[in-house]
Amino acid sequence: MRLRFKLKTVFILYFTVSLLGLMYALMHLGQHCECSEHDMTKDRTISRLLGKLHSLQGHTKKEPTKPHLPTIYVITPTYARLVQKAELTRLSQTFLHVPQLHWIVVEDSSQRTDLVSHFLEHSGLVFTHLHIPTPQDRKLQEGDPNWLKPRGVEQRNEGLRWLRENIWVGEAAEGAVYFADDDNTYSLQLFEEMRWTQRVSVWPVGLVGGMRYEGPVVEQGRVVRFHTGWRPSRPFPLDMAGFAISLRLVLRNPEARFDGNSPMGFVESSFLQGLVTMEELEPKAEMCTKVLVWHTRTEKPKMKREEALQAQGLGSDSKVEV
Amino acid sequence: MSTVLEMPKRRDVLAVVLIVLPWTLLITVWHRSAVAPMLAIPKERPVVRQQRPADDRSEVQHEMAIAPVTSKERCSPERDIVEVVRTEYVYTRPPPWSDTLPTIHVVTPTYGRPVQRAELTRLANTLLHVPNLHWILVEDAARPTALVGRLLRNTGLNYTHLSVETPRGYKSRADARDPRIPRGTVQRNLALRWLRETLGSNSTQRGVVYFADDDNTYSLELFEEMRSTRTVSVWPVAFVGGLRFESPRVNAAGKVYGWKTVFDPHRPFAIDMAGFAVNLRLILLRPQAYFKLRGVKGGYQESSLLRELVTLSDLEPKAANCTKVLVWHTRTEKPVLVNEGKKGFTDPNVEI
Repeated sequence: MRLRFKLKTVFILYFTVSLLGLMYALMHLGQHCECSEHDMTKDRTISRLLGKLHSLQGHTKKEPTKPHLPTIYVITPTYARLVQKAELTRLSQTFLHVPQLHWIVVEDSSQRTDLVSHFLEHSGLVFTHLHIPTPQDRKLQEGDPNWLKPRGVEQRNEGLRWLRENIWVGEAAEGAVYFADDDNTYSLQLFEEMRWTQRVSVWPVGLVGGMRYEGPVVEQGRVVRFHTGWRPSRPFPLDMAGFAISLRLVLRNPEARFDGNSPMGFVESSFLQGLVTMEELEPKAEMCTKVLVWHTRTEKPKMKREEALQAQGLGSDSKVEV
Repeated sequence: MSTVLEMPKRRDVLAVVLIVLPWTLLITVWHRSAVAPMLAIPKERPVVRQQRPADDRSEVQHEMAIAPVTSKERCSPERDIVEVVRTEYVYTRPPPWSDTLPTIHVVTPTYGRPVQRAELTRLANTLLHVPNLHWILVEDAARPTALVGRLLRNTGLNYTHLSVETPRGYKSRADARDPRIPRGTVQRNLALRWLRETLGSNSTQRGVVYFADDDNTYSLELFEEMRSTRTVSVWPVAFVGGLRFESPRVNAAGKVYGWKTVFDPHRPFAIDMAGFAVNLRLILLRPQAYFKLRGVKGGYQESSLLRELVTLSDLEPKAANCTKVLVWHTRTEKPVLVNEGKKGFTDPNVEI
């Protein structure tokens, strides 16, 4: 008797609870649900799947085969400082829009840092992560003006070395190599201009050389001289961001590299000399009349308060990556 | 005796099973449907682009492509790079508009100076990745300029181009970094007014308003964090207040109770302009809330708006309870144009 009673109670309880739950759900049926986050991720998944579907549909349709896009190899030397992650972040946001881009990041360091490794893995880009330290005597010391010693020379040469060792000349070596510093600003159009470089292509660079812009002067489709405010007698008075070289030329001239011992402003010339003459340069950016890249520089953030705090042992949480 | 005891025992067991089974099924199913969408987030960032006429949002041409997966370096020549053929156009278009995502209205005040086009170009490259984004660009000028207008049109972004000139008394002098005259205030207020006039206080549109200066650096994660803002959300900002980063203080219950700053932590809202976002409805419901123009001490500009909108306890901490840095207050150096000389060396018709 007692047993049956207990069972009956349990069943009654069970059904009451279910009924209450059902009523609760029914009451909330018509109301706004706080599931915006679910919708968002679902939405993203849906867009992604739609995209995949359409690209697959595109493949099965009969289309004229699109010409294979040459790859742009972008070599970026970088070094650890406060704004490094910010610079790399906004640079990657630009590169994500450029098809067939291979980013070669070379750290000025004796080993790969965690910050850059994690960053590259999550960037969504095709990348190669290299590192090579600058020898001490070539490094800028505290208080040196930034033009005193050329920066990034060893890193760019390391990038060139990697290309020469890993890309075969025979492999229809089509593509362009571009040296992109991590603090400049690049428009998307620039990459399409440089993609089909046959030898060395050139264009103006904004905010460099103490001027609004610096660049080649083009007459009848050929570069005749250079518009620059400083030492125009240099063989190639260009900024690093003002030219791209075809992959083929890089691979066929394994000795061509940047010379860190060259005088100020001659680093670009040390590389380009012997590779190409001024007449052979290919002018881009509407015959070098448009500025598609700017030599921006980022201020060093003021850390006086941070330094004061750290002296007291109260600095901002160092575990938080900035 | 033993048989009488055995049967009730079996019935007991049966009863317990009948009760427990449906509940476990229910809980499993509920859990899976709640957790699965979260797990399905891919590691790589999908860049979904489409070609469409810049002004027509309703017509959608289906030509999408997806970003390639990253490749690990030092692989054999047979690298497993998964690449998808992309359509070849120069300017990408923003992700397709979604009817379920709240819109992010990004208010950017800007002013003419040599780096302006560069700053706006790289900011646009960032914003092009964010779905459901509406860029409100307000120039510090008497009229919208052709330079900015052209740039905006070429990006393909969903934008509104406004302009208002800062009155003489409030404009900071060319080189002076005088903190008492907040830059961009008049422009941000115009954007707020535009939103209120265009949408009206009865609007049911879901959105978030964010004030983004044109020289800062924003991660894409930040925009997704702020999208779910219900009142005002906050997060850490790097390189402000003379620190590596400033951030709100969040207690164990997930509520903001103070500010981790050195510079005047007793401000009502000791936060940088880039460190908070406001729900659109709140902006529309409080039409008198604007940034204060006159008599605002350095660092109090953000407080002048926020105190009219929200209290400290209503703030929503984002970025993993304010432990991650997703926005950096970078500043661009003023370029040295010494070689231009008095008359200008370069062709002034070439736009930089």
